[in-house]
Amino acid sequence: VLILVRSPLPRLRALLQGCWGRLERSLWPGVLGGQSPPWGPALAVQGPALVPQGINDAGESAAEAPSLLESILWMAAPKQRRTIEVNRCRRRHPSKLIEVKRNIDVCPECGNLKQKHVLCGYCYAKVKEETRLIRMEIYKKEGGPFNTPTVETLVLYEGEKPKEKDAGKRIIERARKRPSWFVQN
Amino acid sequence: SGAAWARGLLSWARPERWLACSSLFPLSCIHTSTSLQKIGKWEKKNRIVYPPQLPGEPRRPAEIYHCRREIKYSKDKMWYLAKLIKGMSIDQALAQLEFSDKKGAKVIKEVLLEAQEMAVRKHNVEFKSNLHIAESLTGRGRYVKRVRCHGKGMFGVMKISRCHYFVKLVEGPPPPPEPPRTGFDQAKEYVQQLRNRTLVHTL
Repeated sequence: VLILVRSPLPRLRALLQGCWGRLERSLWPGVLGGQSPPWGPALAVQGPALVPQGINDAGESAAEAPSLLESILWMAAPKQRRTIEVNRCRRRHPSKLIEVKRNIDVCPECGNLKQKHVLCGYCYAKVKEETRLIRMEIYKKEGGPFNTPTVETLVLYEGEKPKEKDAGKRIIERARKRPSWFVQN
Repeated sequence: SGAAWARGLLSWARPERWLACSSLFPLSCIHTSTSLQKIGKWEKKNRIVYPPQLPGEPRRPAEIYHCRREIKYSKDKMWYLAKLIKGMSIDQALAQLEFSDKKGAKVIKEVLLEAQEMAVRKHNVEFKSNLHIAESLTGRGRYVKRVRCHGKGMFGVMKISRCHYFVKLVEGPPPPPEPPRTGFDQAKEYVQQLRNRTLVHTL
Protein backbone atom coordinates (compact mmCIF):
# COMPACT_ATOMS: atom_id res chain seq x y z
CA VAL A 1 0.00 0.00 0.00
CA LEU A 2 1.41 3.39 -0.93
CA ILE A 3 1.46 5.84 1.93
CA LEU A 4 0.98 9.39 0.66
CA VAL A 5 2.69 11.86 2.94
CA ARG A 6 1.97 15.54 2.92
CA SER A 7 5.42 16.99 2.92
CA PRO A 8 6.12 20.27 4.65
CA LEU A 9 7.71 21.79 1.50
CA PRO A 10 5.10 23.66 -0.59
CA ARG A 11 6.90 22.97 -3.88
CA LEU A 12 6.87 19.24 -3.30
CA ARG A 13 3.20 19.39 -2.37
CA ALA A 14 2.43 21.30 -5.58
CA LEU A 15 4.38 18.71 -7.56
CA LEU A 16 2.45 15.88 -5.89
CA GLN A 17 -0.85 17.61 -6.52
CA GLY A 18 0.12 18.06 -10.15
CA CYS A 19 1.06 14.38 -10.44
CA TRP A 20 -2.18 13.37 -8.75
CA GLY A 21 -4.24 15.56 -11.07
CA ARG A 22 -2.57 14.09 -14.13
CA LEU A 23 -3.16 10.58 -12.78
CA GLU A 24 -6.85 11.22 -12.15
CA ARG A 25 -7.35 12.83 -15.54
CA SER A 26 -5.60 9.99 -17.32
CA LEU A 27 -7.46 7.20 -15.56
CA TRP A 28 -10.90 8.75 -15.48
CA PRO A 29 -11.09 11.23 -18.36
CA GLY A 30 -13.75 13.86 -18.21
CA VAL A 31 -14.76 13.27 -14.58
CA LEU A 32 -13.34 16.47 -13.10
CA GLY A 33 -14.30 18.65 -16.02
CA GLY A 34 -17.94 17.76 -15.52
CA GLN A 35 -18.37 16.30 -19.02
CA SER A 36 -18.92 12.59 -19.08
CA PRO A 37 -16.93 10.71 -21.69
CA PRO A 38 -18.92 8.98 -24.43
CA TRP A 39 -20.14 5.79 -22.82
CA GLY A 40 -22.60 3.18 -23.82
CA PRO A 41 -23.44 -0.42 -23.19
CA ALA A 42 -20.59 -2.67 -24.26
CA LEU A 43 -22.99 -5.51 -25.10
CA ALA A 44 -26.54 -4.87 -26.29
CA VAL A 45 -28.83 -7.78 -25.40
CA GLN A 46 -32.50 -8.13 -26.45
CA GLY A 47 -34.64 -8.32 -23.38
CA PRO A 48 -37.29 -6.66 -21.28
CA ALA A 49 -36.39 -3.19 -20.11
CA LEU A 50 -35.88 -3.69 -16.39
CA VAL A 51 -35.39 0.00 -15.68
CA PRO A 52 -37.01 2.66 -17.87
CA GLN A 53 -34.38 4.58 -19.79
CA GLY A 54 -35.37 8.03 -18.47
CA ILE A 55 -34.90 7.18 -14.80
CA ASN A 56 -31.70 5.36 -15.64
CA ASP A 57 -30.25 8.46 -17.28
CA ALA A 58 -31.31 10.70 -14.44
CA GLY A 59 -29.80 8.35 -11.87
CA GLU A 60 -26.57 8.01 -13.76
CA SER A 61 -26.04 11.72 -14.45
CA ALA A 62 -26.48 12.57 -10.78
CA ALA A 63 -23.72 10.26 -9.60
CA GLU A 64 -20.77 10.32 -11.97
CA ALA A 65 -18.22 7.52 -12.36
CA PRO A 66 -16.73 6.83 -8.92
CA SER A 67 -13.39 8.42 -8.27
CA LEU A 68 -10.60 6.66 -6.46
CA LEU A 69 -11.61 8.18 -3.15
CA GLU A 70 -14.99 6.37 -3.30
CA SER A 71 -13.68 3.17 -4.84
CA ILE A 72 -11.47 2.76 -1.73
CA LEU A 73 -14.69 1.65 -0.02
CA TRP A 74 -14.67 -1.70 -1.78
CA MET A 75 -10.96 -2.46 -1.06
CA ALA A 76 -10.07 -4.90 1.70
CA ALA A 77 -8.89 -3.07 4.79
CA PRO A 78 -8.56 -4.02 8.45
CA LYS A 79 -11.55 -3.01 10.53
CA GLN A 80 -9.94 -2.87 13.94
CA ARG A 81 -6.43 -2.28 15.14
CA ARG A 82 -4.79 -5.54 16.14
CA THR A 83 -4.01 -5.35 19.83
CA ILE A 84 -0.52 -6.06 21.09
CA GLU A 85 -1.80 -9.25 22.76
CA VAL A 86 -3.06 -10.60 19.44
CA ASN A 87 0.15 -9.51 17.73
CA ARG A 88 2.25 -11.26 20.35
CA CYS A 89 0.24 -14.50 19.96
CA ARG A 90 1.00 -14.45 16.25
CA ARG A 91 4.66 -13.41 16.48
CA ARG A 92 5.56 -15.81 19.29
CA HIS A 93 3.71 -18.86 18.00
CA PRO A 94 5.98 -21.94 18.13
CA SER A 95 5.87 -22.30 14.36
CA LYS A 96 7.53 -18.88 14.05
CA LEU A 97 10.26 -19.47 16.63
CA ILE A 98 13.64 -20.73 15.45
CA GLU A 99 14.05 -24.49 15.93
CA VAL A 100 16.95 -25.88 17.90
CA LYS A 101 19.27 -27.75 15.50
CA ARG A 102 20.09 -31.31 16.53
CA ASN A 103 22.48 -32.15 13.68
CA ILE A 104 25.64 -30.44 14.96
CA ASP A 105 28.70 -32.63 15.60
CA VAL A 106 32.41 -32.23 16.22
CA CYS A 107 34.80 -32.71 13.28
CA PRO A 108 37.20 -35.59 14.11
CA GLU A 109 40.04 -33.94 12.19
CA CYS A 110 40.22 -30.41 13.56
CA GLY A 111 37.78 -30.39 16.48
CA ASN A 112 35.60 -27.56 15.15
CA LEU A 113 31.85 -27.85 14.95
CA LYS A 114 30.26 -29.12 11.78
CA GLN A 115 26.80 -30.06 10.58
CA LYS A 116 26.35 -33.77 9.94
CA HIS A 117 25.53 -33.52 6.24
CA VAL A 118 28.00 -30.69 5.45
CA LEU A 119 31.80 -30.65 5.17
CA CYS A 120 33.70 -29.11 8.06
CA GLY A 121 34.18 -25.40 7.29
CA TYR A 122 37.67 -25.17 8.74
CA CYS A 123 39.00 -28.25 6.92
CA TYR A 124 37.41 -27.07 3.69
CA ALA A 125 39.04 -23.64 4.04
CA LYS A 126 42.42 -25.33 4.67
CA VAL A 127 42.12 -27.44 1.52
CA LYS A 128 40.91 -24.46 -0.48
CA GLU A 129 43.95 -22.38 0.53
CA GLU A 130 46.40 -25.16 -0.39
CA THR A 131 44.63 -25.63 -3.74
CA ARG A 132 44.96 -21.93 -4.42
CA LEU A 133 48.72 -22.06 -3.82
CA ILE A 134 49.08 -25.12 -6.09
CA ARG A 135 47.15 -23.29 -8.77
CA MET A 136 49.48 -20.30 -8.44
CA GLU A 137 52.45 -22.61 -9.01
CA ILE A 138 50.72 -24.07 -12.08
CA TYR A 139 50.09 -20.57 -13.39
CA LYS A 140 53.76 -19.65 -12.91
CA LYS A 141 54.83 -22.79 -14.77
CA GLU A 142 52.40 -22.38 -17.66
CA GLY A 143 52.86 -18.65 -18.07
CA GLY A 144 49.53 -17.94 -19.72
CA PRO A 145 46.13 -19.28 -20.74
CA PHE A 146 45.67 -22.25 -23.11
CA ASN A 147 49.07 -23.79 -22.16
CA THR A 148 47.70 -26.78 -20.28
CA PRO A 149 49.71 -29.89 -21.23
CA THR A 150 47.91 -33.07 -22.23
CA VAL A 151 49.55 -35.16 -19.49
CA GLU A 152 48.67 -35.68 -15.84
CA THR A 153 49.84 -33.35 -13.12
CA LEU A 154 51.68 -34.53 -10.02
CA VAL A 155 52.19 -32.38 -6.90
CA LEU A 156 55.42 -33.06 -4.97
CA TYR A 157 56.36 -31.53 -1.65
CA GLU A 158 59.78 -31.10 -0.03
CA GLY A 159 62.04 -34.10 -0.18
CA GLU A 160 59.89 -36.17 -2.53
CA LYS A 161 61.03 -37.73 -5.76
CA PRO A 162 58.82 -38.90 -8.63
CA LYS A 163 58.56 -42.69 -8.90
CA GLU A 164 58.94 -44.83 -12.09
CA LYS A 165 55.20 -45.01 -12.64
CA ASP A 166 55.04 -41.16 -12.64
CA ALA A 167 57.22 -41.05 -15.75
CA GLY A 168 55.47 -38.73 -18.22
CA LYS A 169 53.62 -36.54 -15.74
CA ARG A 170 54.00 -32.79 -15.29
CA ILE A 171 55.47 -32.10 -11.85
CA ILE A 172 54.45 -29.14 -9.68
CA GLU A 173 56.76 -28.42 -6.75
CA ARG A 174 55.46 -26.96 -3.52
CA ALA A 175 58.01 -25.62 -1.05
CA ARG A 176 56.57 -27.04 2.13
CA LYS A 177 56.12 -30.27 4.04
CA ARG A 178 53.38 -32.56 2.75
CA PRO A 179 50.13 -31.85 4.68
CA SER A 180 48.78 -34.84 6.57
CA TRP A 181 45.47 -34.82 4.76
CA PHE A 182 47.05 -34.89 1.26
CA VAL A 183 47.86 -38.56 0.93
CA GLN A 184 50.58 -39.59 -1.53
CA ASN A 185 49.71 -42.37 -3.95
CA SER B 1 16.66 -12.28 64.17
CA GLY B 2 18.02 -8.82 64.91
CA ALA B 3 21.20 -9.62 63.03
CA ALA B 4 19.17 -11.00 60.14
CA TRP B 5 17.04 -7.84 60.08
CA ALA B 6 20.15 -5.67 60.11
CA ARG B 7 21.69 -7.74 57.31
CA GLY B 8 18.45 -7.49 55.38
CA LEU B 9 18.48 -3.71 55.77
CA LEU B 10 22.13 -3.59 54.78
CA SER B 11 21.47 -5.71 51.72
CA TRP B 12 18.70 -3.30 50.72
CA ALA B 13 20.80 -0.20 51.32
CA ARG B 14 24.00 -1.66 49.83
CA PRO B 15 26.37 1.25 50.34
CA GLU B 16 29.20 -0.61 48.58
CA ARG B 17 27.33 -0.04 45.30
CA TRP B 18 27.73 3.71 45.66
CA LEU B 19 31.45 3.51 46.37
CA ALA B 20 32.24 1.09 43.55
CA CYS B 21 32.99 3.81 40.98
CA SER B 22 34.89 6.26 43.15
CA SER B 23 38.44 6.15 44.38
CA LEU B 24 39.63 7.08 47.92
CA PHE B 25 38.81 10.77 47.53
CA PRO B 26 35.06 11.49 47.92
CA LEU B 27 35.00 14.50 45.59
CA SER B 28 36.22 12.46 42.68
CA CYS B 29 32.78 10.82 42.58
CA ILE B 30 31.65 13.68 40.38
CA HIS B 31 32.35 13.23 36.64
CA THR B 32 34.88 10.46 36.77
CA SER B 33 33.93 9.43 33.22
CA THR B 34 36.00 10.97 30.49
CA SER B 35 33.27 11.34 27.88
CA LEU B 36 29.85 12.90 28.07
CA GLN B 37 28.19 9.73 26.71
CA LYS B 38 25.88 8.11 29.18
CA ILE B 39 26.97 4.72 30.42
CA GLY B 40 24.00 2.40 30.10
CA LYS B 41 22.35 0.67 33.02
CA TRP B 42 23.35 -2.75 31.79
CA GLU B 43 27.02 -1.83 31.75
CA LYS B 44 26.76 -0.48 35.29
CA LYS B 45 25.47 -3.83 36.53
CA ASN B 46 28.96 -5.24 36.22
CA ARG B 47 30.23 -2.72 38.79
CA ILE B 48 28.32 -3.97 41.83
CA VAL B 49 30.53 -5.45 44.54
CA TYR B 50 28.99 -7.73 47.13
CA PRO B 51 30.29 -7.92 50.70
CA PRO B 52 32.47 -10.94 51.43
CA GLN B 53 30.46 -14.09 52.03
CA LEU B 54 30.33 -15.72 55.43
CA PRO B 55 31.95 -19.16 55.76
CA GLY B 56 28.68 -21.09 55.98
CA GLU B 57 26.92 -19.50 53.00
CA PRO B 58 26.67 -21.31 49.67
CA ARG B 59 28.93 -19.87 46.98
CA ARG B 60 27.30 -17.06 45.02
CA PRO B 61 27.62 -17.83 41.27
CA ALA B 62 29.42 -15.22 39.19
CA GLU B 63 27.22 -12.99 37.01
CA ILE B 64 28.55 -11.29 33.92
CA TYR B 65 26.55 -8.59 32.12
CA HIS B 66 27.47 -7.69 28.57
CA CYS B 67 25.76 -5.82 25.76
CA ARG B 68 26.27 -4.34 22.34
CA ARG B 69 24.58 -1.12 21.30
CA GLU B 70 23.27 0.15 17.96
CA ILE B 71 23.43 -3.06 15.97
CA LYS B 72 22.11 -2.54 12.44
CA TYR B 73 19.31 -5.12 12.68
CA SER B 74 15.64 -5.17 13.60
CA LYS B 75 14.80 -5.73 17.26
CA ASP B 76 11.94 -8.08 16.41
CA LYS B 77 14.17 -10.28 14.24
CA MET B 78 16.91 -10.22 16.87
CA TRP B 79 14.38 -11.29 19.50
CA TYR B 80 13.93 -14.70 17.85
CA LEU B 81 17.66 -15.40 18.25
CA ALA B 82 17.63 -14.13 21.83
CA LYS B 83 14.69 -16.45 22.58
CA LEU B 84 16.55 -19.37 20.99
CA ILE B 85 19.58 -19.16 23.25
CA LYS B 86 17.81 -18.24 26.48
CA GLY B 87 18.60 -20.86 29.13
CA MET B 88 21.21 -22.77 27.11
CA SER B 89 24.79 -23.42 28.09
CA ILE B 90 27.25 -21.15 26.34
CA ASP B 91 28.73 -23.94 24.19
CA GLN B 92 25.33 -25.03 22.94
CA ALA B 93 24.38 -21.41 22.24
CA LEU B 94 27.56 -20.82 20.22
CA ALA B 95 26.91 -24.01 18.24
CA GLN B 96 23.33 -22.99 17.40
CA LEU B 97 24.37 -19.49 16.40
CA GLU B 98 27.22 -20.69 14.22
CA PHE B 99 24.87 -22.60 11.94
CA SER B 100 22.03 -20.09 11.94
CA ASP B 101 21.54 -18.21 8.70
CA LYS B 102 20.46 -14.94 10.29
CA LYS B 103 22.54 -11.76 10.25
CA GLY B 104 22.07 -11.21 13.97
CA ALA B 105 23.51 -14.65 14.75
CA LYS B 106 27.03 -13.49 13.83
CA VAL B 107 26.70 -10.42 16.07
CA ILE B 108 25.35 -12.37 19.03
CA LYS B 109 28.14 -14.93 18.66
CA GLU B 110 30.75 -12.16 18.88
CA VAL B 111 29.02 -10.72 21.96
CA LEU B 112 28.97 -14.12 23.66
CA LEU B 113 32.65 -14.73 22.95
CA GLU B 114 33.53 -11.28 24.29
CA ALA B 115 31.49 -11.93 27.43
CA GLN B 116 33.14 -15.32 27.91
CA GLU B 117 36.57 -13.70 27.61
CA MET B 118 35.58 -10.99 30.10
CA ALA B 119 34.28 -13.63 32.52
CA VAL B 120 37.55 -15.55 32.53
CA ARG B 121 39.80 -12.51 32.77
CA LYS B 122 37.97 -10.15 35.10
CA HIS B 123 35.16 -11.96 36.89
CA ASN B 124 37.06 -14.89 38.38
CA VAL B 125 35.34 -17.63 36.41
CA GLU B 126 37.35 -20.83 36.48
CA PHE B 127 36.06 -22.76 33.46
CA LYS B 128 34.91 -20.88 30.39
CA SER B 129 32.45 -23.68 29.53
CA ASN B 130 30.80 -23.59 32.94
CA LEU B 131 28.61 -20.62 31.99
CA HIS B 132 24.99 -20.52 30.99
CA ILE B 133 22.82 -17.77 29.60
CA ALA B 134 20.47 -16.55 32.32
CA GLU B 135 18.97 -13.62 30.42
CA SER B 136 19.17 -12.50 26.82
CA LEU B 137 17.21 -9.46 25.71
CA THR B 138 16.90 -7.07 22.82
CA GLY B 139 16.14 -3.40 22.97
CA ARG B 140 15.23 -0.70 20.49
CA GLY B 141 18.10 1.43 19.25
CA ARG B 142 17.89 4.83 17.60
CA TYR B 143 15.72 4.86 14.50
CA VAL B 144 16.35 7.15 11.53
CA LYS B 145 13.66 8.14 9.03
CA ARG B 146 14.51 8.16 5.36
CA VAL B 147 12.61 8.71 2.09
CA ARG B 148 11.85 5.65 0.01
CA CYS B 149 11.07 6.48 -3.64
CA HIS B 150 8.22 4.70 -5.40
CA GLY B 151 7.10 5.04 -9.00
CA LYS B 152 5.20 8.02 -10.44
CA GLY B 153 6.77 10.49 -8.07
CA MET B 154 5.30 8.92 -4.97
CA PHE B 155 7.39 8.47 -1.90
CA GLY B 156 7.05 6.87 1.46
CA VAL B 157 8.94 7.23 4.70
CA MET B 158 10.98 4.24 5.76
CA LYS B 159 12.67 3.85 9.12
CA ILE B 160 16.19 2.44 9.41
CA SER B 161 16.05 0.49 12.64
CA ARG B 162 18.81 -0.48 14.99
CA CYS B 163 18.77 -2.58 18.13
CA HIS B 164 20.71 -3.31 21.28
CA TYR B 165 21.47 -6.80 22.54
CA PHE B 166 21.92 -7.62 26.25
CA VAL B 167 23.13 -10.88 27.75
CA LYS B 168 23.70 -12.08 31.32
CA LEU B 169 25.97 -15.07 31.82
CA VAL B 170 25.90 -16.94 35.12
CA GLU B 171 28.45 -19.49 36.23
CA GLY B 172 27.25 -23.05 36.62
CA PRO B 173 25.38 -25.61 34.54
CA PRO B 174 22.12 -24.47 32.91
CA PRO B 175 19.01 -24.96 35.04
CA PRO B 176 16.84 -27.95 34.03
CA PRO B 177 13.89 -26.96 31.84
CA GLU B 178 10.51 -26.72 33.51
CA PRO B 179 8.35 -29.81 33.02
CA PRO B 180 5.26 -28.99 30.96
CA ARG B 181 2.04 -28.52 32.89
CA THR B 182 -0.05 -31.64 32.78
CA GLY B 183 -3.80 -31.92 33.18
CA PHE B 184 -3.22 -33.46 36.59
CA ASP B 185 -1.36 -30.35 37.80
CA GLN B 186 -4.13 -28.11 36.52
CA ALA B 187 -6.75 -30.24 38.24
CA LYS B 188 -4.80 -30.14 41.51
CA GLU B 189 -4.55 -26.34 41.32
CA TYR B 190 -8.26 -26.07 40.64
CA VAL B 191 -9.14 -28.23 43.64
CA GLN B 192 -6.76 -26.19 45.80
CA GLN B 193 -8.44 -22.97 44.68
CA LEU B 194 -11.82 -24.39 45.63
CA ARG B 195 -10.47 -25.38 49.03
CA ASN B 196 -9.01 -21.91 49.66
CA ARG B 197 -12.41 -20.25 49.46
CA THR B 198 -13.67 -18.75 52.72
CA LEU B 199 -16.82 -16.99 53.86
CA VAL B 200 -16.66 -13.22 53.66
CA HIS B 201 -18.74 -10.51 55.32
CA THR B 202 -19.97 -12.96 57.94
CA LEU B 203 -19.47 -13.52 61.66
